[in-house]
Amino acid sequence: MTAPMLEAHGVQVELGGTEILHGADLTLHEGELVAIVGPNGAGKSTLVRAVSGLLKPTAGTVRWSGRDLGSMRGRDLAKVRAFVPQRMPVPTGVTVREAVTIGRSAHLRPLSRLTRADRAGVEEAMDRAGVGRFAERTLTTLSGGELQRVQVAIGLAQEAPVLIADEPTSQLDLGATIGVATLLRELVDHGLTGLVVVHDLALAAAVADRVVVVAEGRTIAAGPPAEVLNAEQLAATWGVDARLSEQDGRTALHVAWLNRA
Amino acid sequence: MRKKSATLLLAALAVLALCLPAGAGAAEAPKRIVALTPFAANTLAKLNKVPVAIGETLGGNERFSPKLRNVRVLPLSHPNGPNLEQLAALDPDLVFSSKTWAKGNQAMEELGIDVVLHDPRSIAGALADTFKIGAIVGRRQYARGLVKSMRVQIAKARKGIAKRPKVMLILGVGRTPFTFLPNSWGGDIVAKAGGDLLTGGVTSNSGFERISDEVVVAENPDVIIAVPHANADDIPSLTDYLQDNPAWSSTNAARNGRIYVSVDNSLLQAGTDIARTIRKVRSAYLKN
Amino acid sequence: MARRTLVLAALLVALAAATIASLALGAVKVPLADTLDILFGSGGSASDRQIIEVLRLPRTVEALIVGAALGVAGAVLQGALGNPLASPDVIGVTGGAGFGAILVIIAFPGSIALLPASALFFGLLAATLVFLFAWTGRNRGGTTKVILAGIAMLSLFTAGTTGLLAAFPERAPSAIFFIAGGLTSSGWRELETVWPYFAVGFLFALALVRPLDRLALGDDVAASLGSKPQAIRLGAGVAAALLAAASAAIAGLLGFLGLVVPHVVRMAGGTSSHTFVIPASAIGGAALLAAGDTLARTLRAPIEMPVGPFMVLLGVPLFLWLLRRAI
Repeated sequence: MTAPMLEAHGVQVELGGTEILHGADLTLHEGELVAIVGPNGAGKSTLVRAVSGLLKPTAGTVRWSGRDLGSMRGRDLAKVRAFVPQRMPVPTGVTVREAVTIGRSAHLRPLSRLTRADRAGVEEAMDRAGVGRFAERTLTTLSGGELQRVQVAIGLAQEAPVLIADEPTSQLDLGATIGVATLLRELVDHGLTGLVVVHDLALAAAVADRVVVVAEGRTIAAGPPAEVLNAEQLAATWGVDARLSEQDGRTALHVAWLNRA
Repeated sequence: MRKKSATLLLAALAVLALCLPAGAGAAEAPKRIVALTPFAANTLAKLNKVPVAIGETLGGNERFSPKLRNVRVLPLSHPNGPNLEQLAALDPDLVFSSKTWAKGNQAMEELGIDVVLHDPRSIAGALADTFKIGAIVGRRQYARGLVKSMRVQIAKARKGIAKRPKVMLILGVGRTPFTFLPNSWGGDIVAKAGGDLLTGGVTSNSGFERISDEVVVAENPDVIIAVPHANADDIPSLTDYLQDNPAWSSTNAARNGRIYVSVDNSLLQAGTDIARTIRKVRSAYLKN
Repeated sequence: MARRTLVLAALLVALAAATIASLALGAVKVPLADTLDILFGSGGSASDRQIIEVLRLPRTVEALIVGAALGVAGAVLQGALGNPLASPDVIGVTGGAGFGAILVIIAFPGSIALLPASALFFGLLAATLVFLFAWTGRNRGGTTKVILAGIAMLSLFTAGTTGLLAAFPERAPSAIFFIAGGLTSSGWRELETVWPYFAVGFLFALALVRPLDRLALGDDVAASLGSKPQAIRLGAGVAAALLAAASAAIAGLLGFLGLVVPHVVRMAGGTSSHTFVIPASAIGGAALLAAGDTLARTLRAPIEMPVGPFMVLLGVPLFLWLLRRAI
């Protein structure tokens, strides 16, 4: 087993005077796609933002390839991980290519110009994310799914080995969700390491190599989806009578929607 | 005996008859007068008709006649001028005011107080208004004599003007001064004192205008007089500031060090010591 | 890309035209040939030389610098706060500078030479107070907090100014022209005092171009790329404060430029990219102020009118026309 890319232990985070995470753990190995699931308000986003360096933990350790997060400067982190938020603000008059170029700026010194390598990197990021065909369109003209892909492209332009996405599909329709999910899976299959927060349990099961369950500010389970997302876990954590099943390449969550027990 | 008492009675009646018109005339002249402008106040002092109250603007620099030393002072502020309640409490028959306090003047009229406005902006206007004030307060003869003697003194002050230097008279210092035009009080004083007022060919109803420094350079004044809103101890630093102004460095005034600062109100507001002001302007500034 | 280049070219042409007009035109007619001779040669009469070298040239340069400074200050603030109504007034600079100037004009008239310094000091003080309030407590540096703190500071200093004017009503007319805003022909004297603040402000703004583009994609993306969003906002505030305070120190309170010029160039160029908007705002602001000032001192020559109405006259129709097309 190779050394993990990310190792986080006992992470505690306080927001606005309230402790959101009471000691969560997370490990990420190269080449795997990990999905973080859990009920609302469990602290999934907080955990992922904390390990990404967007939030400062009040306790616990976070190490990226052995380096302590606290000792890493912004530019160092940008070379190690790319963070894709759920929804970014959409400035007017900015084209897809320009936005992805901004993603590339992590590689640029403050006043230096774009090199040919940089421009090539931008094209490649757009191709990998499948947004090359509308590179000249402005962001305001894109649909939800297209915009999410562009956000992934911006992240890819950083050329970091790890892509972290916070609920990338929560606001998309079924078709767009499938598009983004397929994209993420393909990227990981081609060598990227992925960490995604996912709302939809069936999606998590279908897409991820490993699933981490976060509830009430703690990690309570981690492992392959079939193992972790069993009926007992679903009942204990989500309070639902449900089970996952996979058949013919389709993953489904069977739920007793009406609680007649 | 009866003839003597009849004569006495007739004499008494005659005296009474003579007194009555005079008495009626005296009843017409206002008794309780309030003067809100220094011009009106000082004119009344000269006419020996001391008002019951005079106005003084907040932070103002007005000079008042020594005869007014013990007169009650009403502080004046925008927009009404005096505090109307204080004014009404004085129960005035007449208020001498100016256009500055237009809002207050209207309020006073509504209270039933007679208001007369004087805003002389020229020496001729000041002399005319001096007579008018005298006539209103029942000192017509006295006023006529006063104006005559003032004319004589002014003529004396204007005698023997040897030179007519070009003078720029500006209001305010720093940034964007306004030029006094001939139809302003200060402009008229300086012109009558022998100055050739620099105006750039501009006329304006208000008597002031902001003119370009380019015109100042082109017209090249011999003397520059600034009238800022400041105190006497500010004069040295203000003079230095004006002397150092690069814009005017090529003018005769700057090169000969003939830039002056005047902080009393003599050029800003109509006064009653006109001859003295002209003499001062001639000796201190125009040197003619 | 082509559209942006076109707009930049048009702005540069406008700048050149405004600069030439500002140097060639004035209350006194100086033939263009003589003007060129004075500027590049050594000819001309003493009076004309004084007019061109001491009056018009410094004034033109001041118009260009102040116009550029206010345009950039507005662009930088609008980008950093993500709010189209942001302008240097919002961070309290204008209110503070106005108070500082009127304090000198009215209460310490003998110290008139210190007017630029006082305006600068109080302008920066006001901005510092705004940042202090906005950056402490909860939700540090949040846009709403900055704007509200700015409004509070503006109200505070405006009240102070009004109080001064009321306490010394006789002296109020001297203060009016500072409040109205406008340039003066007083040689290089004032620029000599404040040029370092312009220099630092412009350098800061230049360094902020890329960071502001990142910020436009949201705090999270900016953080992902290694930037600190709050540091960018603070930096933008500092740059805008320096540029706006220095501008107020020598040109009074000019409000229109900082708010409208960035919007005009954004709409004309069709982009919010700061690599375009910031330089374009500088050029556009410089051209607008130089043109407005030229009109203000030539239309009713030799009377000098305040520059504000002329900038509005030139800028508002263009702004409205672009607005119609954009929306």
